[in-house]
Amino acid sequence: MITINGISKEFKEGITGKCVKALENLELEIKQGEVFGFLGPNGAGKSTAIKILMNLIFPNSGKAEIGGKDVRDPEARRIVGYLPENPYFYDYLTTDELLWFGGRTAGMDSNSIRERSDLLVQQVNLQNARKRPLRTYSKGMVQRAGLAMALIHDPDVVILDEPMSGLDPIGRKMVGDLLIELKGQGKTVFFSSHILNDIERFSDRAGIIIGGKLKRVDTLQNLLSGGKNLEDVFMSEVALAEGGTAG
Amino acid sequence: MIRRTIAIAAFLLILASLHVIALGRSTEARKQLPRGEGSAIVLPSALLKIAALEFKGLVSDVLFLDSIAFYGGTLNREERPRLKEWEWQWLDKTLSASADLDPYFLDPYLFGNAVFTWEAGMIREANDLLAKGSRHRTWDWMLPFFTGFNYFFFLQENEKAAEFLMEASRRPDADPMLASIASKLAFKEKKTETSIQFLEEMLQRTDDDLSKQRFRKRIEALRGILLLEQAVAHYQKRYHVKPHSFEALVAKGIIQKVPEDPYGGTFYLDPSGSVKSTTERELMPHRKK
Amino acid sequence: MTTFWPIALITFKEGIRNRAIYGITLVALMLFGATALVATMVPREVGKVAVDMALSTISFAGLLIVLFVGINLMAKDLDKRTIYTVLSRPISRSQYIIGKFLGMILLITVTMSILSLLAITAIVMLKNIHAGYFTRFSWQTIILADGLTVLMLIVLSAISFLFASFTSSSFITLVLTIITYIIGQSLSGVKSLLEAPSYEIGFSVSPVTVKVVTAAYYLFPNLSLFDIKLQAAHALAVSPSFILWTVLYGLVYIVISITLAAIIFRKKEFP
Repeated sequence: MITINGISKEFKEGITGKCVKALENLELEIKQGEVFGFLGPNGAGKSTAIKILMNLIFPNSGKAEIGGKDVRDPEARRIVGYLPENPYFYDYLTTDELLWFGGRTAGMDSNSIRERSDLLVQQVNLQNARKRPLRTYSKGMVQRAGLAMALIHDPDVVILDEPMSGLDPIGRKMVGDLLIELKGQGKTVFFSSHILNDIERFSDRAGIIIGGKLKRVDTLQNLLSGGKNLEDVFMSEVALAEGGTAG
Repeated sequence: MIRRTIAIAAFLLILASLHVIALGRSTEARKQLPRGEGSAIVLPSALLKIAALEFKGLVSDVLFLDSIAFYGGTLNREERPRLKEWEWQWLDKTLSASADLDPYFLDPYLFGNAVFTWEAGMIREANDLLAKGSRHRTWDWMLPFFTGFNYFFFLQENEKAAEFLMEASRRPDADPMLASIASKLAFKEKKTETSIQFLEEMLQRTDDDLSKQRFRKRIEALRGILLLEQAVAHYQKRYHVKPHSFEALVAKGIIQKVPEDPYGGTFYLDPSGSVKSTTERELMPHRKK
Repeated sequence: MTTFWPIALITFKEGIRNRAIYGITLVALMLFGATALVATMVPREVGKVAVDMALSTISFAGLLIVLFVGINLMAKDLDKRTIYTVLSRPISRSQYIIGKFLGMILLITVTMSILSLLAITAIVMLKNIHAGYFTRFSWQTIILADGLTVLMLIVLSAISFLFASFTSSSFITLVLTIITYIIGQSLSGVKSLLEAPSYEIGFSVSPVTVKVVTAAYYLFPNLSLFDIKLQAAHALAVSPSFILWTVLYGLVYIVISITLAAIIFRKKEFP
């Protein structure tokens, strides 16, 4: 469903134009119906990979596809729901208007937008706030509104960048429930996190990215084989990467 | 609670009265501040036009209001002459700039004409301003009419005056009298009668009381002269000689008495037989060289 | 249209609910009040001063809306990354720019219509009180002047979109747009000043200056073209060919600016 083929990305930093490698030759294949957890420390390149998938930034080399369509084609995003990291929406719009916008741009008619909105607003628990402008929302509420917006058009592929960050325990449980529900519906989910527990609980398969390089990709079963926990696996990868750069 | 409210109200009341007093004193004291003299500098219109961006009309209004506010502020000055030379220059430049920014704006022309002619004797400046207005307000017969009047009344250039009156008479809605006054001026016919006619025309177009008073006085004097001229002519026709004095006219019963000169002088017959007044120069407003 | 309309509508809603709009409307209301006061201070041409002030107020308020609400709408999308909300949809970059711009046009048109209504009310009231001083007066020219002002604002907004497409901060966009406005309003004046014979302006100009000004004349929008407030204040005739060519010029400038903005935007990254 999602194919990332040898993608590299460099950023120029400051006025000096010094290049910083954010991604190096990233290869990744996510199958339909899979919940994929993208694990890595802050600044490892998780967001960069997701932004390339959303065509927000462009790779220096390599190619990415969603549902068989090149991500540079806007049509590729028709089946995608995306929640950015720390989302920020229009201050003076309400959740209802945000959902209307999301539905309309995905080609839905007013009736199905209304039905789907009612359902999602309930799921993310914003019934009482749906007619209020987003500027009056707390950070967690904005995150939940963003989640509803990502799911409004019932997308086949859901890409969530740090969906749990900034949420209280109730919010985290809510997002978790949603992930499980999406999995039950056979959706493809690609989510990033730096919280090991989240990856461990919700994903079928996970990739560990450190310093722009994908270190390991495997099913959770294989990663945790032999009674290891994800923390051990992750820390040993980090140690290996640091040793590699030092030596 | 109530006591506190009263205290606050009283405090505010004291502040308010202090405010009024301070404002009044400050304004009063400001008037005494030495003012920059000789600073008749107004930005050139070409630059003003650029700086005004799309608000040229507005800047024109502001410049005009500035000039009438300034002029109004000088009305109760005690020194004579009331305005200094550079102040007239500033007024002229400001009104010209206002007219340059919005050449269709009537008020600067009328105001400039009113103050420059009678008071400042700046007839040329008034006429330049009117000419600018006349060029743009092609539908307006008043501006060339005023120019013509200035030539006639202040500069005694009757041919020029006739030219402008003819121009005025050709414009829409012009008073039909204008053409006839113009032709009489041009052919030097019935000078006194024409002058009265012209002044009466002008009187009708004038709003302010001071000018009206001046025109009425002038018309009264001209009527006196006209009466005497007609009497002299009558005498001449009857006796085939010119009278020596007005007393002769009264003695023969042609007139009942010699009319009074409203300017306080007396009318007399000059050796050539034309009617003059001892206040002749009053009739002619002061002219600048 | 199905892709543009939702973007245009949320842009419009986001703009019209901005607190700044209320502030600007309040300022405009006070200026319309001042119109009534100042106009009566003029001996004769009350009508001309009233129209001057009313139209200038509309222009000024519109300018504030374009500069402080409009630019913010576009720039905040980039600053705060609200643009992710839009670009994560099946929408191309060009569709985003065009939709956003349509929303901006909607915002300018609606706010300007409200302000114009207020202005007309002020003029009608003054006209009823001082009927004798409104001898040369034409609603038609006033509406025309108002319409051209709206077009001018849309042109300015289009160029601000172009600036926003290649600068990374809303502040730089704002400064560039203000500079463009000032240049645009004074360009033709400067050009005719330089082309006048040197004895008329009292100084000679180097040929390089003339060339620079001429280049600027074609590069920057000639915003003073859209200004017929003076003609409106005196009910002077405005030829249909002038209107036609000016409107065409405005439209062409808008299309060029937005096309360039879209081209630059296609290459833009939002890290």
